[in-house]
Amino acid sequence: MMHHPSRVLPYIPTIFILFFSVMFAGSLSAQPDGEKIFRGYCASCHQVHKDMTGPALAGTRERWEDREDLLYQWIVNPAAVKEKNDPYVNELLAKWEPRAGLMTAQPLTTEEITAVLDYIDATPPPAPKVADAPGAGADDGRAAADDGVPVFFLALIGLVLLIIILSLSSVRRALSGAVKERDGKEEEESTSYMAEIRAWMWKNKVVTSLIVIFFIVMGAVDVWDRLMAVGVFEGYEPEQPIAFNHTLHAGELEIDCQYCHSSAADSKHAGIPSANVCMNCHVAIDEGRSEEGTQEIAKIYHAVGWDKDERMYTGQEHPIAWVKVHNLPDHAFFSHAQHVSVAGLECQTCHGPVDEEYTVGKQFAPLTMGWCIDCHNNSAIDLNSSEYYAEMHRRFVEDERGREMLKKYLEDGSVSVAEMGGWECAKCHY
Amino acid sequence: MGDTSKKYWTGLEELNETPEFVQSRDKEFPQELPVEDFLSDKRLDSVTTDRRDFLKFLGFGLGAVTLAACESPVVKSIPYVVKPEETTPGIANYYASSYFDGHDFASVLVKTREGRPIHINGNKQYGVAGGRTNARINASVLSLYDSARLQEPMKNGSRSDWETVDGDIKTAIQKATGAGKSVRVLSSSVNSPSMMAAISGLGESMIEAGGSEEQFGHVQYDAISASGILEANEESFGEAFLPDYNFGKAKTIVSVAADFLGEWLFSNEYMGDYARNRRPENGWMSNHFQFESLLSLTGTNADVRKPIKPSQEGLVVASIHNYIAKKAGASTVSVSTSEVDAMCATAAEKLWSDKGQSLMVAGSNNKGIQVLVNNINFMLGNYGSTIRTKSKLNLKKAKDSEIQDLIKEMNAGKVGVVIIADTNPAYALPNADEFKSALEKVETRVAVSQYNDETASLCNYHAPSHHYLESWNDYMIKSNYLALAQPTIGKLYNTRQLGASLLAWSGQDADYHAFIQNVWENNIPAPAEAASFNDRWYRAVHDGGMKLAGHEMDMSEFGGDLSGAASAINAIKSSGEYELVVYAKAGIGDGRHANNPWLQELPDPITKMTWDNYVTMAPADVRSNGYNEYLGEQNPATVVVLNVNGKEMKLPVVAVPGQKPGTLGVALGYGRGANGERIGKAAFQTGTYGGYIEDENGNPKPIGVNAYPMMTRAGGNMICCNYGVSISGTDGTYPMATTQTHHTIMDRHAVLRETDLNTFNTGDREKFNPETKLVFHGAPHDAYEHDHDHGDGHDHDHDHHDHKVHVKHIDLWNDHPVENVGHRWGMSIDLNACIGCGACVVSCHSENNVPIVGKDEIRRARDMHWLRIDRYFSSDMNHERGDEEGLGTIDTYRKMEIPSENPKVVHMPMMCQHCNHAPCETVCPVAATTHSNEGLNQMAYNRCIGTRYCANNCPYKVRRFNWFNYMGYKKFREVNPSQDATGRMVLNPDVTVRARGVMEKCSMCVQRIQAGKLEAKKAGQPVQDGAIQTACAEACPTNAITFGDVNDKKSKVRKNHESIRGYYALEEIGTRPNIAYMVKVRNEQESTEA
Repeated sequence: MMHHPSRVLPYIPTIFILFFSVMFAGSLSAQPDGEKIFRGYCASCHQVHKDMTGPALAGTRERWEDREDLLYQWIVNPAAVKEKNDPYVNELLAKWEPRAGLMTAQPLTTEEITAVLDYIDATPPPAPKVADAPGAGADDGRAAADDGVPVFFLALIGLVLLIIILSLSSVRRALSGAVKERDGKEEEESTSYMAEIRAWMWKNKVVTSLIVIFFIVMGAVDVWDRLMAVGVFEGYEPEQPIAFNHTLHAGELEIDCQYCHSSAADSKHAGIPSANVCMNCHVAIDEGRSEEGTQEIAKIYHAVGWDKDERMYTGQEHPIAWVKVHNLPDHAFFSHAQHVSVAGLECQTCHGPVDEEYTVGKQFAPLTMGWCIDCHNNSAIDLNSSEYYAEMHRRFVEDERGREMLKKYLEDGSVSVAEMGGWECAKCHY
Repeated sequence: MGDTSKKYWTGLEELNETPEFVQSRDKEFPQELPVEDFLSDKRLDSVTTDRRDFLKFLGFGLGAVTLAACESPVVKSIPYVVKPEETTPGIANYYASSYFDGHDFASVLVKTREGRPIHINGNKQYGVAGGRTNARINASVLSLYDSARLQEPMKNGSRSDWETVDGDIKTAIQKATGAGKSVRVLSSSVNSPSMMAAISGLGESMIEAGGSEEQFGHVQYDAISASGILEANEESFGEAFLPDYNFGKAKTIVSVAADFLGEWLFSNEYMGDYARNRRPENGWMSNHFQFESLLSLTGTNADVRKPIKPSQEGLVVASIHNYIAKKAGASTVSVSTSEVDAMCATAAEKLWSDKGQSLMVAGSNNKGIQVLVNNINFMLGNYGSTIRTKSKLNLKKAKDSEIQDLIKEMNAGKVGVVIIADTNPAYALPNADEFKSALEKVETRVAVSQYNDETASLCNYHAPSHHYLESWNDYMIKSNYLALAQPTIGKLYNTRQLGASLLAWSGQDADYHAFIQNVWENNIPAPAEAASFNDRWYRAVHDGGMKLAGHEMDMSEFGGDLSGAASAINAIKSSGEYELVVYAKAGIGDGRHANNPWLQELPDPITKMTWDNYVTMAPADVRSNGYNEYLGEQNPATVVVLNVNGKEMKLPVVAVPGQKPGTLGVALGYGRGANGERIGKAAFQTGTYGGYIEDENGNPKPIGVNAYPMMTRAGGNMICCNYGVSISGTDGTYPMATTQTHHTIMDRHAVLRETDLNTFNTGDREKFNPETKLVFHGAPHDAYEHDHDHGDGHDHDHDHHDHKVHVKHIDLWNDHPVENVGHRWGMSIDLNACIGCGACVVSCHSENNVPIVGKDEIRRARDMHWLRIDRYFSSDMNHERGDEEGLGTIDTYRKMEIPSENPKVVHMPMMCQHCNHAPCETVCPVAATTHSNEGLNQMAYNRCIGTRYCANNCPYKVRRFNWFNYMGYKKFREVNPSQDATGRMVLNPDVTVRARGVMEKCSMCVQRIQAGKLEAKKAGQPVQDGAIQTACAEACPTNAITFGDVNDKKSKVRKNHESIRGYYALEEIGTRPNIAYMVKVRNEQESTEA
C-alpha cells in the first residue's frame, strides 16, 4: 500500500516522504478513515486550511463542483487530467505547478477519496491560538518550594525554642536570685550566661563532648559534600537559542532519538542535529502549536536560510550556537556508539526522560566518574551477544586461569562491564 | 684542558683599562639601593593600606578567584547548518592522495577529522611503491597549518588581489612577447601531464599572441638533482631517464655513495623492497656492500661497509667495472684502480656470481661514474630484472645545465618574465649569488610559492600557491603509473595552485580540476580494460592513482662512452687537507622543510642530533685535532672554520664513527632564511626563554649554515663532493642538542641481540637467542618443576643453588592475568627490517600530540618523544680481548664505550614496553599508572602528581615528563605548533594534550585500540588481525613493527613473539614486556676481508 516515491516533487527531500510513509502506512485500516488517509497521503503537501506545498484543501468540493469525476481522476492520475485541458485545472496548474511541480499520483480508491473529502469538509478552521506555556517554570518553582518549606519551618521552630529557652532560663535565674535573697544569703555576684553555660558544660562533660563531636561531624560532612559538588553540574539547563521541545518530538510524536541524533550509533558524539535535519519535517510544518512554537520554528528557517513564503532556500545560513549541556572534562573519553550500538542503552538512561519532561537540554546525570563506574559495575555483559564477546568467552574457557576467573565473575550470576575491563583507566582516559 | 693561565678580556675596555671601566669594575653594584630613603619616607605613615589590609585583600582575592573557578565556562556547540553527507562528527575520513615536492613522492592516505587533515599515512593498499612514506612526508601535514605561509597575492611587496596580479602578469607577458624577450617558467621537476599541458598552454597563448616558439620555455631545476644519471642514461641508452630500480629482486646490492635507504631517488620505495630480503626466515638474505665516505643510513644497514674518500668513488666503480668486464669478456677502462682493487674484489665477485639478480648503484652526479655503473648493470644482465625496463622513474627530470643556461640568458637581458614555481634556487644553487644578480635583470619576476622565501623575496609578484593538501594534481611518477592528488580541505588562505595560475595567465577560463580531467580524458591512453571515463576517474580518486600500460624499453645495446667516463674519473683529484661531502638528512632533506618543527626535532638517524647542522668527522680526526669528541649537555662541540670554495664557514664538529678519516660531512637544507625571510616560526634559533636569537642585522639567526655553496661542479653537474677543503682553526664552542649521548651497547646483550646468518641457520636458538635463566634460590615453585625434572624432590636445598630457572617463572608479584585471557596487545619489532629512518617517530608525534620542546630542552635531555630509535655502534673491545690484553673488568667496560673505527650499527626502536610486571606501576604513589587487563601500561594523566618515580624506575627510560606548559609558555612559542592558532588544528582530537607536571609515554595508541575494538563490537566480530594498527606500525615503510593481539593465536604478532628470533629487552629483570624484538641477523657469512 505504500506509495511509490519515485515521482516526488523535486525539492522535497525523499527522507521526508519515506518518514511519513513509514509512520502512517501501517495505520491504515479497512474502513476508510478520512483523517488517517489524509495524514498518510495528503498531509506531506497539503493542509486543510492553509496553503503548503500544495493548495489548502478546504472547499475542494465546492471548487470542483461541476467536475467531481475529474477531481477523483486528478487525485489518482494528475498527469492524465492535465492532458484534458480543463480550464479550472489549467488555472490551478498555472498557479501551483511552477512552485511545486505536478501533484504525485495517489493510489486511492474512490471510497477513500470520498472519505478524505468528507474529512476535509468536516474539519473546522483552527481557532485563534492560545499561548501554550512550555510548562517548565511552574514545575521547577514548585519543586523549589517543596524543598524550602520544611527548612523554613524548622528554622522558625528553632528560633521559637531558643527564645523560650532564654526566657525560661532568665526566669530561673530571677527565681533562684529571689530564693537566695529570701534565704538571707548574701547575693552572689551575678553570674553571666556564659559563665553559667561553662559551668553547665563542666558538669555535663559527656553530653557536651557528644554535642561538639556531632557538630564537627556535621560540619565535616557538609564541607565534604560541598567539595564533592565542585564541578558537578547536575541539573544544568542553560537557556538555548531555540526552545526545542523534546517532549513534543520524542514523546508525543515518537520520533526516534537517533533520527536527529544520528551519529550516536557510529561516533563518540551523539551530535546536535544540523538544521537541515530539522527541515526534513519543518519544510512542511511551519506552524507550532502555539505562537511561541511558530516563532521557534522560524528560527530554524533563519538558520538554514529558508524563505517560508517563497518556499525556497535563500543561501543565507546562520549557524545555531547551542550551549553545550553535557561537558565532560577533556581528559575523559566517552563514546556514544559504544553505549548505544554495543551496549544497547536507552538514551533516557543517562539523559533522563526528555520525552516526558519538557527540556531543551538538561544535565540529568551527575556525569561524575563515580556515576560512570557505578554503572560499569552494575551492568552485565552478555557474552553470547556477539561473535566478539563469544571470542572473549572462548579465551576464558580455553585457559585454566581464565576458567577460574570466569567462575569468579559469574558468582553473582553475570559478567559485569567492570570485570571485562570497564574500570580500567585507559578505557576512558588517554 | 689546555693552558689555564690564559687571560680573557671582556672587551677592549678591560684591556685598555679605561677610567670608566675601572670605575664600573670596582663598583659592581652601580647604585646603592635606597632602602633607608624609602623607610624614612614620612609619606609612608599616611598610607592607609597597612600590612593587615594587604593580607585581607589577598585573602579576599584568593577566595573570590577560587569561587569563580568553581563556575565552569559556558561552552558553545555549533553544528553544521547543512551537514555534508560523508562527514560524521567524531569519525575520521580517509582520502587517497599523492605527495610530491620535487624531492619526495608518496601515495598517501590523508586522515581528516571534521574536515581537517590531521595525519598522513602511506596508501599501502593501492599506492604506487607500496605506499611507503618517510619522515618528511609524514610531517607534511603540519606545514598545511603554517601561519607563515603567504596568504594573499602580492605586488611589489604589498598586498594585492588576484585581478591586479593576473592583469599585470598578462600584460608583462604580452609586453615581453612584443619586445622579443622571452618568458621562462622555472620549476622543480615536473612529471605531471596536466602541469605540462598547463605550461605549454601558456606557451601556446604566447605564440597565438605573435610570439615565437623560442620565446617561451620551461626550465626545471632540482636542488639535489639526478643530472648525472639522466645524462649517463641518455648516453648509454639514448634517453635521459631515471631507471626504475627493483631492490626487491636484488640478491647482491653494491652501492657506491648512494644512500638509497635514506635520500637517494625514490628511497621510500627502495626501503621496503630492500627490507623484504633482509629477513633470515626467507632462507637467504641479500648481500649489501656499501662504499661511502660518511656513515649514511644505508651504510648502517650494509653487510659490508667500506669507508672511502669521495675522490675514490670513481675508482671503486671503475675497479668493479673492470673486474666484471674481464669476467664478461668486455673491454675495461683505463683507470688506475690499484688502491681500491682489494676492497672491491668481494663485492665485484658477488655481483658477478649473482648476475641478473644483482644491482649496482652510485650516488654521484658525475656522468662518467654513472656511465660505468650502467655498463656494469648492463654486463650483469640486470636490466629487465633488478632494473625494470617496462617503466621509468620520473622523480627527477632536471638537468643541472638548464638553470645555468637560464642564468646566462637572464644575464644577457633576454628574459622579460620569469615565473618561479615552488623552487628556491636563490637558496639552494651553489652559485646562488650569480642567480640572484641575474634575476635582477628580469623585469617581471613572479613567485608561485607558499612562502616568501629566499627566491620569492626577490620577486615583484607573488602568486601564492596551495599546500598539496589543498590542491588537485596528477603525477606520472613512473611511466606506468599516474598518481592523483586530491584536496582534503578547502584553501585556508587566499592562494591559488600553480596550475590554476598558469591557466589564468594563458587566458584559459577553466578550473584546474576540470583541466586535469580533460587532460586525462584526451591525453592519457586508457588501460585495456577501461570502463567509461567517469569510472576510471572516480576509481583513480578512490585509489589515489591509476596504473597505465607500460611499454618495454629497448635496453639491448649499451652506447656509453667508456673512455670518456674513464677520463672523467681520472680527472677527479683530491686537492686539499680534507675532502667534503654534503648530504641530505632524514628530517630536513633538501631544506624545504626547515620550518617544520617535527622534522627539526627528529633526531638524525646516525648522530641523533636535533635542530642543527654540523661537520661530521672521523673520531680519529677529531681526537688528533683536539676537538671535543663526546658531546652532551655540558660538553659543547668545537666550532671549526672551514675554507670551502674560497668561503669561510663556521660549524660545530661532531665525531661519527665509520666516517673515512680525512673526510668531512655537512648536511644540506640548513641556514634557511639567512636574510630574515619569513619562512616559518620554527626555522630560526630560539633563546633559552623563547624569542629568537638575532644576528647583527636584527634578523632571527638561521639554524646552521647553508651547505649548498660547498658543492662543486663536474661537467656541468652539481656534485655533492668537494675534493679540496681545509680547516683553518677553531672558533670557540657551540652547544649541541642530542637525544643519545652513549654510542655502544657495552656488552648489555639483554637489551640487544644480534648474530650472523650462519649461526642463525644452524637453527640452534641457544647459540644466538638463549633463554634467559637465573639462579633461583627460592622455595620450590610450581614453575621450577617445569624446568627442572627433579625426580623425587629430595635434596632441594642442595640442588637449588646449581639450577637455573627461566626468568618467566620467577615472580615477585602476582601475575596480571593477561596471558591467553581477553586481549593482550603487543608488538614485535624486527631489528633486521628496521633501517632507522625515523618515519615512525614523526608519525607518533602526529598521532599522539607529542609536544615539540626545542633545542634547549633537548639539550637538557627533556625531549618528549614517546618513541625513539636507539642507535648502537659496535665496539672492538669485548671480554675475551680484555682478558688477552690484561685489562681489568672496569677498563674493559670503559673501552667498550668506544665505538669501532668502522662499526656495525643497529637501530632499535624503543618505546614503552608495556611490561606485565611494570616497575613504574609499583612505585607510583597515586596509582596514576596502572596495568590494564589487555596488557597495556596505562597512564592516567589527571591522577599524576609528577613525582617522576616511575621514570626513575623505568629500566627502558621511555617515560617523559612535562616540565613545562608547552602549549602556553613563551619558551615554546616559536617551536611548538600548538601555540599557533592555525598550527594547533593539526592536533588529534582523540588524544589529550597533556598539562604541565604530568608524566607521559607511549600508550600503544590506545585510542586506536579502543576505536578498533568498537568497530569490531559494532560489527559483532572478533577483532581481525591487522585491523588495528598503531601509528608507528602503520608508518613503518619496511614493516619492521607489527602490532596485534598476542592472545590471538593466529596473529602475526604472536608468531613473532614465539619466533626463534623473538626476545624481550632486558628480559632478565623480569618485566615481561608485551613488546618483543627480533634478533638482528647479519649476512656476514662471506669473507669481508679486504
